Amino acid sequence: MNGAAEGAEQRLVTPGEVIGTSLDKRAGIGTLSQGERMIATRLGWVRENNDTISVDPINSRYTPRSGDLVIGVIEAVRNNLWFADVLGPFNGLLPMSLAPWKVEFGAARQFMDVGDVILARVQEVDESHSVVLTMKGVGLRKLKQGIMSSIPMNLVSKFKGENDSNLRTLSLASDCRIIIGENGRIWVDGDATGITMVRKVIELVKSEGHKNTFQQSLSEMIGNTPGGD
Amino acid sequence: MGGYGDVKLLNDDGTRLDGRAIDEMRPLTAEVGILPAADGSAIVTHGLNVAIAAVYGPVEAHPRKIQRQDRAVVDVRYNMAPFSTSDRIRPGYNRRSREISKVTAEALESVVLVERFPRAKISVEIEILAAEAGTRCAGITAASLALADAGIPMRDLMVGIASGKVNDIVVLDLDKAEDNYGQADLPVGILPTTGEIAFLQMDGDLSPEEYNTCMEYNFKAAKEIHQIMIDALKAKYNGGA
Amino acid sequence: MVELVPSLLRQELASLAEADQRIDGRSRWQSRDVTLEVDCLYNGDGSAKVVWGDTIVYAGVKFEVRTPWPDKPNEGSLMCGAELRPIAGRKYEPGPPSPESIELGRVVDRGIRESGCIDLEALCIIPGEKVYGVMIDIHILSDCGNIFDASALAAIAALRTTIVPASNFDIGDDHPLQVSKAPIMCSFTRVGGRYVLDANEEEELGGDERIHITLGDDGHLHSLQKGLKGVFTPAEFTEILDVAQQRCKELRDMVSAKEAN
Repeated sequence: MNGAAEGAEQRLVTPGEVIGTSLDKRAGIGTLSQGERMIATRLGWVRENNDTISVDPINSRYTPRSGDLVIGVIEAVRNNLWFADVLGPFNGLLPMSLAPWKVEFGAARQFMDVGDVILARVQEVDESHSVVLTMKGVGLRKLKQGIMSSIPMNLVSKFKGENDSNLRTLSLASDCRIIIGENGRIWVDGDATGITMVRKVIELVKSEGHKNTFQQSLSEMIGNTPGGD
Repeated sequence: MGGYGDVKLLNDDGTRLDGRAIDEMRPLTAEVGILPAADGSAIVTHGLNVAIAAVYGPVEAHPRKIQRQDRAVVDVRYNMAPFSTSDRIRPGYNRRSREISKVTAEALESVVLVERFPRAKISVEIEILAAEAGTRCAGITAASLALADAGIPMRDLMVGIASGKVNDIVVLDLDKAEDNYGQADLPVGILPTTGEIAFLQMDGDLSPEEYNTCMEYNFKAAKEIHQIMIDALKAKYNGGA
Repeated sequence: MVELVPSLLRQELASLAEADQRIDGRSRWQSRDVTLEVDCLYNGDGSAKVVWGDTIVYAGVKFEVRTPWPDKPNEGSLMCGAELRPIAGRKYEPGPPSPESIELGRVVDRGIRESGCIDLEALCIIPGEKVYGVMIDIHILSDCGNIFDASALAAIAALRTTIVPASNFDIGDDHPLQVSKAPIMCSFTRVGGRYVLDANEEEELGGDERIHITLGDDGHLHSLQKGLKGVFTPAEFTEILDVAQQRCKELRDMVSAKEAN
């Protein structure tokens, strides 16, 4: 999901555009096989490897997958479970059995109420696309301090950089803890100056994340050496 | 259609009142990503028509009764702003808009890969800011662009365009006078890559041959509009990877 | 349209307020960038488009000719309404006009009406028989905070550049609508415990009550509205009124500049 190979000119395609043949290649994301033709289904960049053609979409809403780290906001509380908005089409369900505390039936609200922010993982997504969340796991918890922001989820990899290099550099430069959920939500904890710096970087991602000059601009802003490894 | 067959809408040299040839389209422009709050958006100007579309979704389908277990529903609201026409339109429930919303949604459901999002809803809001005949077609084009801008998977873009008949001659892309005083109007939504038709309405009087000519003009114009749509989508993002 | 307010947002807004800062880096009385266009809708007798930060609003003016109300035989009418349709944002649901859209329309209406900038008797064509009805319709395309000021600005800018379409009704020649003043609205929201000018989307989401002040050319108050849950002190009001006096002048200049063209 990380964009062009070094130096390669990537082809931008629109829905319905023919991008290859389906005789010798498999249909990856953002594509559809129509008889012998492979067409793009999304606006995005064609990516071809040995056996698959896919399209990296420019724009995407978050679709939860099992194992995703997500930052959620509690939207509703019942006696034995919480509903959290994770920026997907459907809310995530957090049953009390998967909460980090021992919760008695009916006491859910004492632990977390509407508006609370959580770091959770997607436990499973069933065939009807219901999403179950878990907070049992290392580091998963209610986020009680710090700030929350978000970027389009398809820019998460770009923001993090190769092997999380951007993230590490930004963390050091701002002296902040930064966690990015797969759903595009970002949690930052640190002092006011550090948070302001991170917010500036987030604005850059939102305005220039789709451009190929992005990594350069980002590196200049946070003092990384461009070119990575 | 008024069936006012005796209002002169063609000049003696065969051109139309605004100077166009009988198979010539009004100018059309398109731009995407114009509404910051929406997941996807587009503006289309076609002649003096101005159509803006915004897409929100996929989101959970509410109310429950519209939810489908096997696929997403496409929920369209086509609305004309009160100041969009020469006589003000009172805001509120409008039967014409309700019908256009329904048929547009059904057309878009034929091209959006709705099976990918069971129980979800994709909302498409079409607002007409200025109307000069052909608003439902401009709305279809804008909606299609907004869906692509939002990243909703589709098997093709959809082009909205209409042809009709004035003074017994088939013409492409009726303007306001031609729509008011002409003899037939045939708006369609065309899938340009496959050549299929997802949206079809017609009113007036057309012989089967005249219908064929209308469709010929529609398909020819659809190619032109399709290219404008592709350019609009790519304009925003070319130069990136 | 109940919105979900994250706990961290309110916390952040409170600590920013304490440090005299705002979430997007603006100062307390600083507005976002505003652009104004007039005469931009083909079928509008007057029209304006306002882009206020990421908020986008159109206003259109239309005329009708009708018989006057029996109790006001020599007066025409002025009516202002607003539509907040789902296109404006994820939080807006389809259906009948919401209390929010009704409030918006009426607050903008009062600011214009009470300033007296439109002489209703001047809208009379034939006393007791024929009068003009002037209708302003506000259409919100994108709500990213402060739709009130954006709507009020669009409405007055549209009015000030309106041409009465007398020829359409066979009454005479088209002529500019007489609008004697330019009432301007300025809105303040309590964010993190204190009032700020021009709240953006996040500040509205995590903020509290709002106060809308409409001032005429002479700095007189023509309408006031306090919306949403919360209370304020007279001293707080004095402070924001002071800011409004300056800010309204700036926005009025913006309208004048468009009229000159």
